[in-house]
Amino acid sequence: MEEYIGYVVGGRLKENLSVRLVVPAHQVQEGAFTVIESGEWQFYGLVTDLILGATDPRFADEQSETRLPIPLANLLHGQTLYTNLEVLPALMLERGPELDSPLYQEWLQAIDSGERPQPRPLPVKTIPPHHAQVRMASQGDIAEIFGEIGEDGNFVIGYTREQAHPVCINLDKFVQRSSGVFGATGSGKSFLTRLVLAGLIHYNRASVLVFDMHNEYGFDDTASDTGERVIGLKTKFPTRLRVVGLGSGAQIRGQTPDFNLEIAMQDIQPEDIELLTRELNLRETTPTTLDALVATFSKELWFKRFMELKPGAVIEDEDGKKFPAPDSVEAWAHQAGVHPEAAKGLHSKMGPLFRKKYIVEHPASDTVSEIIKALEAGQHIVLSFGKNESDLDYLLVSNLLTRRIRQVWEKRTNDYRTSGEGEPRPLVIVLEEAHKLLNREMAAQTTFSTIAREMRKYYVTLLIVDQRPSQIYDEVMSQLGSRISGWLGDEDDIRAVLSGLAGRDALRGMLARLQPKEEVLLLGWGVPMPLPVSSRRYDERFWSELLGKPARKRGEDEILEELGF
Amino acid sequence: MTAIEIGRLLRAGTTGFVAGCRVSRIGTPSFGALVRAPLDAGYQIFGLIHDIHIDDDGLVRQLVTTEEIDQAVIIDNRVNRNVPIEMSVLAVGYQQDGNIHHLLPPRPALSLDVIYLCSAQEMRDFTSSGRFGYFRHVLRSSELPIGDLLAAHINQVQPVQSEVGNEAWALKATQELIILLRDDYPALMSVISTLADAVPGNWEGMS
Repeated sequence: MEEYIGYVVGGRLKENLSVRLVVPAHQVQEGAFTVIESGEWQFYGLVTDLILGATDPRFADEQSETRLPIPLANLLHGQTLYTNLEVLPALMLERGPELDSPLYQEWLQAIDSGERPQPRPLPVKTIPPHHAQVRMASQGDIAEIFGEIGEDGNFVIGYTREQAHPVCINLDKFVQRSSGVFGATGSGKSFLTRLVLAGLIHYNRASVLVFDMHNEYGFDDTASDTGERVIGLKTKFPTRLRVVGLGSGAQIRGQTPDFNLEIAMQDIQPEDIELLTRELNLRETTPTTLDALVATFSKELWFKRFMELKPGAVIEDEDGKKFPAPDSVEAWAHQAGVHPEAAKGLHSKMGPLFRKKYIVEHPASDTVSEIIKALEAGQHIVLSFGKNESDLDYLLVSNLLTRRIRQVWEKRTNDYRTSGEGEPRPLVIVLEEAHKLLNREMAAQTTFSTIAREMRKYYVTLLIVDQRPSQIYDEVMSQLGSRISGWLGDEDDIRAVLSGLAGRDALRGMLARLQPKEEVLLLGWGVPMPLPVSSRRYDERFWSELLGKPARKRGEDEILEELGF
Repeated sequence: MTAIEIGRLLRAGTTGFVAGCRVSRIGTPSFGALVRAPLDAGYQIFGLIHDIHIDDDGLVRQLVTTEEIDQAVIIDNRVNRNVPIEMSVLAVGYQQDGNIHHLLPPRPALSLDVIYLCSAQEMRDFTSSGRFGYFRHVLRSSELPIGDLLAAHINQVQPVQSEVGNEAWALKATQELIILLRDDYPALMSVISTLADAVPGNWEGMS
């Protein structure tokens, strides 16, 4: 028998329901998942506030327990002082007539015969009546809304805060649209991302490409706060996951990656350079100069040729008069009709790129194609940036690689739509520090904003991991289906995470009061209703639950016993 | 068990009545006591004594000015006085055909009808019937010392309820009073404070 925690005393559909609490207030916390029973319907809601009230403020002001015998004071307080819950109604579900009523069988038969639709959670369109009873959601209620554990695609992301009932997210739904994992520094974002990635890789319905800027996800790592060892994804998925290191001979956390990524000069396009305007402090003349370079040297060779040009190189004629040498930047500028200072300036500012060891003329192998092949074949890639972990490296490589991938997936999808054969494998691109690539200025230039907006149709979605969601372009944020957020303190970040969601006023405070490293708020299209949960621990228990217990070595006695000795 | 007669009806209305008795019976009725006035077969009115007063007469007026009053004169005046002791009773319900109602009686008692003190069983029957509906009549009578009246009543009923194991009766009664008065802070605090004073020490055992 469920214990009722209160009854409805008021409210509005467009706001919250007021529930008079009949149990001690400490038994219910903000964010509690509650069920309101109302005749043939059951409503599901979220506690967004707890309010102390009194039938007359003087009952609250007066410390009557000091004047009255305790039993009498308790009686008085019980009737005059109370706690009200504010409950945000989110979903409603038809549960039919009472079980013992003859109408129940008729109702069931109508569903079985298809006359009535199968009951499923619907967004609330009405409200329960006064005095409808309210109880905490049971494990069955949570499974009804968030899905059963063990059902295909369901992944336990955390547990309800009061009763520790497991809460699932549906990974199929999670990858159908771009998603986001948010949280301020130190809020447990990396562990949360590891959990989600482990779930995605284990479920294996989509390939995952992780741009691992800080080398956290591939190999085993050490937690930055506790100093404890953190299991890397490669350790648990040795065959399914490939770790790619940026640059020849790169070592990641002291280990050799499966293969190394080198960027061919011919793959670098002018738009890749334009993307680095802020990092390289480029001027407004840059696009014109880049166009001229492509016009002179071709799309494949411009980078190499420009790198080889020598700024300031001169030759002298017989009279000792100095002219720009034919292989100088200035000579090319004169010839191409570009201002020599603009060309020299660009050459100088592209210097950091020219010195990148992972940008080579002829890569030892076509790693980009290998990565794409691996992803197509159902493997997962963690691209670790190793020592090349500056914003410049991250922006250039992630954008360049993603552009190639996008082209391939677009082509595959178009071929599939034409021929009906060879459906592309869904791909999730995991983007750390996403605001660097998806901020207001950059969003229009990078491939990522296109992916967030359109690539769902082409089987590619993003998983954005970020600590400053307010810096991400609104248009991208609005496209995010599922959002999992840890603690956020900044008002703008909170607003950004809640953008486009119903009941965001009520959820705002909840987000600011999440316990760092312990709790997350599930939000958005990918989850049936918002819910704060105690996040699952990323530990050995998690792995044994996900992958099953490692095979135990059997002792000699056991083997002999099995053999009948 | 013999019914305890406390007096006869002097005057009556729907909301209450006044009974008169001789001084020799003054020891029986008390403030807050539950009394009944049986009328015809199967119909009787219940009430709570909310006032007991003794009016003067001409002789008393003369006597109080006398320097020395002989003890025999005092006794004679009390025993043979012409003006009765009056008890004002608030009607709180009635019984008809065995059913107890916490409503105002359909018709009042008649002059010289005998008024009885309720027995323990009658008190239990009346106070356990329904959900303390008779408190309404008390609380409505703003001119009465509501707190003291209820405290006296609860004090008298709780022992007879405890005899049959209903130890929590006073708590339930108090809870009902709080519910009825919770929107009237001054009245509730007055009643609650009086209850706390009237039943000292007893509350601890009731929790």
